[in-house]
Amino acid sequence: MSSLDMELTVNGRAVKRPAKARMRLLDFLRDELNLTGTKEGCGAGECGTCSVFVDGKLVKSCLMPAAKANGATIETVEGLAKRGGLTYLQQAFHKTGASQCGYCIPGMVMAATGALRENPHAGLDEIKERLGGNICRCTGYSKIFEAVELARDVMNGALPVTALDGPGAGASYIGNNVRRLDAPSKVTGALKYAGDMVMPGMLHMQVLRSPVAHALIKSIDISEAEAMPGVECVITADDVPGEDGFGVFVHDQPIMARGRVRYVGEAIAAVAAVDVETAMAALGKIKVEYENLPAVFDAEAAMASGAPVLHDYAPDNIVKHIPIRKGDVEAGFADAELVVEQSYETQPVEHAYLEPEAGLAYVDHDGVVTVISPSQNITHHRHMLAKIIDRPINKVRFIMSPVGGGFGGKEDMIYQGMLALAAMKSGLPVRLVFTREESIISTAKRHPARITYKMGLKNDGRITAVEFRMISDGGAYGLSTEGVMRKAAILSCGPYDIANVKIDTHGVYTNNTPSGAFRTFGAMQAQFATESHLDICAGKLGLDPFEIRRVNMMRSGASTHTKQKLGSVSLGLALEAAEKASGWESGPSVARGGVRGDLGRAGNREPCTLGARIRTSHDVDTKEDIA
Amino acid sequence: MLNCDQYLMPETLEEALAQWVGAPEGSRLLAGGTDILPWAREGRAGHMHLPAIIDISRVKELHGYDVVDGRVRLGANLVFQRFLTSESLRHHLPCMPHCAVWFADDQIREQATLVGNIVNASPAADGTPAIFAMNGTVEIARLDGGSVARRSVAIGDFITGPGGTTLEAGEILTAVACDSMAGYGGAFEKVGQRRSLVISVVCAVGLVKLSPDKKTFADVRLAMGGIGPVPIRLDAVEAFLKGQPVSRKSILAAVKTAGDLVRSRTRREYRSEVIRGFIERAVEDALADCGVALLPPEMKEAVHVVT
Ligand SMILES: Cc1cc2nc3c(=O)[nH]c(=O)nc-3n(C[C@H](O)[C@H](O)[C@H](O)COP(=O)(O)OP(=O)(O)OC[C@H]3O[C@@H](n4cnc5c(N)ncnc54)[C@H](O)[C@@H]3O)c2cc1C
Ligand code: FES
Ligand code: FES
Repeated sequence: MSSLDMELTVNGRAVKRPAKARMRLLDFLRDELNLTGTKEGCGAGECGTCSVFVDGKLVKSCLMPAAKANGATIETVEGLAKRGGLTYLQQAFHKTGASQCGYCIPGMVMAATGALRENPHAGLDEIKERLGGNICRCTGYSKIFEAVELARDVMNGALPVTALDGPGAGASYIGNNVRRLDAPSKVTGALKYAGDMVMPGMLHMQVLRSPVAHALIKSIDISEAEAMPGVECVITADDVPGEDGFGVFVHDQPIMARGRVRYVGEAIAAVAAVDVETAMAALGKIKVEYENLPAVFDAEAAMASGAPVLHDYAPDNIVKHIPIRKGDVEAGFADAELVVEQSYETQPVEHAYLEPEAGLAYVDHDGVVTVISPSQNITHHRHMLAKIIDRPINKVRFIMSPVGGGFGGKEDMIYQGMLALAAMKSGLPVRLVFTREESIISTAKRHPARITYKMGLKNDGRITAVEFRMISDGGAYGLSTEGVMRKAAILSCGPYDIANVKIDTHGVYTNNTPSGAFRTFGAMQAQFATESHLDICAGKLGLDPFEIRRVNMMRSGASTHTKQKLGSVSLGLALEAAEKASGWESGPSVARGGVRGDLGRAGNREPCTLGARIRTSHDVDTKEDIA
Repeated sequence: MLNCDQYLMPETLEEALAQWVGAPEGSRLLAGGTDILPWAREGRAGHMHLPAIIDISRVKELHGYDVVDGRVRLGANLVFQRFLTSESLRHHLPCMPHCAVWFADDQIREQATLVGNIVNASPAADGTPAIFAMNGTVEIARLDGGSVARRSVAIGDFITGPGGTTLEAGEILTAVACDSMAGYGGAFEKVGQRRSLVISVVCAVGLVKLSPDKKTFADVRLAMGGIGPVPIRLDAVEAFLKGQPVSRKSILAAVKTAGDLVRSRTRREYRSEVIRGFIERAVEDALADCGVALLPPEMKEAVHVVT
């Protein structure tokens, strides 16, 4: 393996040391110089968590072979401010609350710094454009843009430096903008996420994943991989000492495939080695014999009789069915003046938190198996792991590292078990950092749903009955499916007072990537159907969409379909505010299309156009020649 | 992961050519690396261990650009960001700032070369149609005996299909030459799944020169990418518009001369609808760049949807 002698300047200091040929500038900064403020969100140029200045130009360090930086002057997020200080921009990020999970923030700070260096007077459109290569999954960007504009104005003297001071909580935290305590560590890149952590002697893990969706594993031969120099251990399901199985509700998923694999991307074996390349090379030496089984990729097909069965305990492939019955739907439909039936479909969605899964495990001096990871559910994980590794609970410890975005996707103990097993088997600390591809292929998605909706209404818009049936693809393992189905059922008909409902939600096993928790936990799919359906019904009845909602909305004192009494309901206020803020022109929305008068108002969202910096200012004479 | 036995950074063209011709099978040239690094990842080519990577970004002969006799010669190391930051390139290549601003993002544009974009020969490449529209040729060098031999090829002959070019073993592309389009208005249209960092589903480039009284089209250049294996020049539309009065009517009539241009196997219907709108928009945006706006900006989206 060739290496390259690097001589460069990093954050004002001369650096001289070799880089491996495979290293990108990102690896050199993180692994050789321990400058972990520069992050790897995707490794493919898409996210901007790795942005650094090379000879004054902002670049994505994941796309730059380290050799290209030889002789260059590098500036990373750690070098922007004097140690212990914050630049105006960093202070502005702190002030406006621009950092949430923080994983994108060092890159954002770099991109914003670059934008204002290129054009100290950049307007909002240009700022947006110049930050276009950096993705944030938490903030919705508003606070970030606010921060950049604030810093710009302070740097230009348009605002006093005191504009960066925080207001503080004063007498109360309620009603005051309180600055986030963790913001300085995020805007400077000082905060260590699991993938940034190192321990002496630490091994690196790589995971062998299934290329097939459904198969029996006839054999796994790890002997050649285990014999490789640099490989400390190889683990498979055979290394699990206790009762294997995890999940948020039903514990149906083994740490690694046990005799049978149920989805593409499922972990089969894992290698812990002295470095990532060795671990990766060892994966290629593991021989797995599969015997393919018929697979099922559609939830409805999986419910049909004769479909391949994924788990013996669920011969009908149903993870969970939640029925709700209230009133008499048949009578409700009979009473209706209009009955509308329609089906809706939603797709699986990846959480795409900027921080790919990562963890570090070790067995401490007291024999406590310790796992550091951005787990959203550490107590549950700890209990499950204790059973799986057959240790008393006081010998299992979970430490929650900062979560670089979770959105429900880090509730599943999808890799922590492998880390624990490898640390136990090797006696050394072991770290695993997912690539973005690995994160996408192997971790849970939002449940895709197919919803059939039948609604009966009176001509004035009052809903007389609803029949709601949702079939949701839970994928190969249960994870959060049970809870998601429950929530979807509870919230299925939205905040509307309906006397007669018949609701069924079904979570179904298939050989797809497992579905799991994701913000709104099942409500989003149901709401998409309900709100779309109401719009369609309003159109058919010639009613204003606000009107149909007002007619049916729950009011204070209402009780939900699951008999929860609601003390106060603010839906009426919310509708009123939305109607006012949008400048809504009342009337049925279907009738007017492009001629409605409330489009293109100030405050409406405009389509995005690029090129703010090149838009010519010279006068253009407009001809009214519209043929 | 992209690994290699040898990472070479030649500083002269001779050195680069010698290393390249002597490199073991499977070695690669690398300019900005923005195509090659993502290529060597899971789901695409996978982890790669190459015998040698020859990084040409420090070869001095490949830097910079010049303008001679109405032709602009762009060195192989020229990165996309220069189309935005160089006054002179903006003047001579008025469609390129628009192309560049839609290309990847500011950071990638500091690395990504026009030549890498052309050699990569993706049907979705944004740079290639623009060069096509400007009668571009590529200049190619190789070692012949001890000296550097050169040839040049028209861009339309150079790209043969997705990933395919007529580049031969041991050859390095040294420059791209194209017409200076000073005095033209330029435009670039692009549609993909989002706005920043997006690969084109369809892209179009337009260049318009007006008669001195600004009433007729003196010259029009149009090319499109993303609609087939190679980019295309819209000869029929260009020929039709030349000499026509500047009006929406002319443009709409010109669109009809385009015929069925979609060669892609996927999303054919969508693409042909986009093509129609993009021809209109490319011409109108290029006109606006010349100072003649046929439509107020707020009407643009609406008109192109309903016609
Ligand atoms: C996040 C992201 C966004 C992107 N967005 C866009 C976009 O919007 N539009 C678009 O068109 N592309 C886009 N790309 C693709 C890529 O950036 C471009 O194709 C770029 O122009 C490639 O140039 P490079 O210098 O980085 O090429 P490299 O990756 O270095 O090389 C590309 C190919 O060209 C060959 N090559 C390079 N130079 C020479 C030479 N002088 N002679 C012979 N062969 C040579 C290389 O061997 C290789 O095969 C994007 C890429 C990423 C990662
Ligand atoms: S852009 Fe470099 S890690 Fe995502
Ligand atoms: S704060 Fe931006 S991704 Fe979390």
